[in-house]
Amino acid sequence: MREFTLEELARFDGRDGRPAYVAYAGVVYDVTTSFLWQGGRHQVLHRAGQDLTEALAQAPHGQELLEKFPVVGTLKGEVDA
Amino acid sequence: MARVAQEMVERAGVDVDTLVELLVKNAAAELTTYYYYTILRANLIGLQGESLKEIAEVARIEDRNHFEALVPRIYELGGKLPQDMVEFHNLSACPPAKLPADPTDVMAILKVLVEAERCAVRGYTHICDLTAGKDHRTYDLALAILNEEIEHESWFSEFLGEGPSGHFMRRGETSPFVSKFLR
Repeated sequence: MREFTLEELARFDGRDGRPAYVAYAGVVYDVTTSFLWQGGRHQVLHRAGQDLTEALAQAPHGQELLEKFPVVGTLKGEVDA
Repeated sequence: MARVAQEMVERAGVDVDTLVELLVKNAAAELTTYYYYTILRANLIGLQGESLKEIAEVARIEDRNHFEALVPRIYELGGKLPQDMVEFHNLSACPPAKLPADPTDVMAILKVLVEAERCAVRGYTHICDLTAGKDHRTYDLALAILNEEIEHESWFSEFLGEGPSGHFMRRGETSPFVSKFLR
């Protein structure tokens, strides 16, 4: 499984047709196909290509919604965060 | 635009542009849900489906009411609705509540309905969190809508066998919480 640095993850920002990846607790998910991540944006406040571990703690949903999406890798140094 | 009202919101620390965009996205979710629920309701037929039709209709009408209630606040805060209906549809805060591949599968329709309501509950909880103690008018509106969305979720959840809703269906009225914004 691919290991991403934060810099590498940032390239998958969902803009201009690029895939949209987000990290949570050291796991990188591909949310490209999600209606709620169109253009790499989610509910105005969040951007793809980022580690959303802290942001998800404030979100009105848990990680179960991320788990519906394919896992494409891990975040370097962040597994099992 | 309500200039001073907007200034008060900004001074309280709310990013008005972000808030307006969230309100527009949720208004889009309400109007598109109203549209998709029209199709779902039409397909709720037969012994199982007919028992759900009335409740789906109430949720459909109340979602349209939510759209109507949100629009004035969007303009008060300096925002506007997109000119293009397709753009409006596609920026919705919730995915389209589309009819399942098998339109005779009432349980599949119920799952679409409950997921739509759960998306709305998350969305208005988010807006309440952003505005609590800061933007009293938007908070009041979002809370009123949230109250109705929670009831919708609980109705459909009950039919899915997830447990009692604790509610009885509406008795001829709609939008008991949001109606004050529709006068």
